[in-house]
Amino acid sequence: MPMKGRFPIRRTLEYLQKGDLIFKNQVKIMTVNYNTSGELSEGARKFVFFNIPQIQYKNPWVQVVMFKNMTPSPFLKFYLNDGEQVLVDVEGKDHQRIMQHVKKILGKSEEVLHIEALAKMQESNPANFGPKKYCLKECICEVEGQVPCPGTTPLPKELTGKYRTQMAASQE
Amino acid sequence: MSVKQASVHAKWIIGRVIGTNMVKTAKVRVTRLVLDPFLLKYYNKRKTYFAHDALQQCTLGDVVLLKALPEPRSKHVKHELVEMVYKVGRVVDPLTGMKVEGTQFLEPFADLADDLDKKMTLSDKNQELDSAAASSTASSPDSTSQTP
Repeated sequence: MPMKGRFPIRRTLEYLQKGDLIFKNQVKIMTVNYNTSGELSEGARKFVFFNIPQIQYKNPWVQVVMFKNMTPSPFLKFYLNDGEQVLVDVEGKDHQRIMQHVKKILGKSEEVLHIEALAKMQESNPANFGPKKYCLKECICEVEGQVPCPGTTPLPKELTGKYRTQMAASQE
Repeated sequence: MSVKQASVHAKWIIGRVIGTNMVKTAKVRVTRLVLDPFLLKYYNKRKTYFAHDALQQCTLGDVVLLKALPEPRSKHVKHELVEMVYKVGRVVDPLTGMKVEGTQFLEPFADLADDLDKKMTLSDKNQELDSAAASSTASSPDSTSQTP
């Protein structure tokens, strides 16, 4: 049974996660003005149809607003944190070119993304044990193949501290 | 922390004015795209914010840019009006700077107006208008006389 809709692939998690435009931290609002008819707006319409879901999925804290048929020419406008505004003319451009252009001017570069991924990996180091907020596991007893937690099953007599001190005291 | 943190999560938002009945306050509806978890499609979700505009320059239907205030002005008002992005009825196209209505330009293009002025001066235009008026007045008595 096929999926419903015109291009239902847009509505798959895999497609949404494939989006590679991640805005810089200063970008807060993205506004798209386009027209519902006319060849000049064709690229903008395709951009809204195909690329906006990917952008919003990767940037959940950016407000994306669409305006239809307000001006004769289509454009994008970005509002940054310090009050700066970026205007991008989109008339007659193809949706892939628009995406590339926006990625170049306001997207995080590959190196920055790589550095952020590394930092995230360092946070989740499996060799560290501690609170759930900072580490993966709280105690080594949670790891499979290690000695289970003495709270659930009693330790064998030889491993208890009480027995060990007794043996150490008797040997001296 | 020397810089005062805003009390609200949304620092900059864009919305449409839906109410101006309050003194120096605008009721603004902000739409954000929210993913439906089952359909995996984005839909607009509305939220109303109250914004302080000291000059009371908002009318119903304007699109405004709001900024979070460093601390809430009252129980509901936590934002202030920064800029009127599109004034209803007087939308200005940011690319050309001309007034626009839907997909039409309201003002004539500057180069076209210049050409017309160079070809005809004002006096010529007046003469044309006078001749047109004279011809119309000459024709109208004929028409009225014919009808009994």
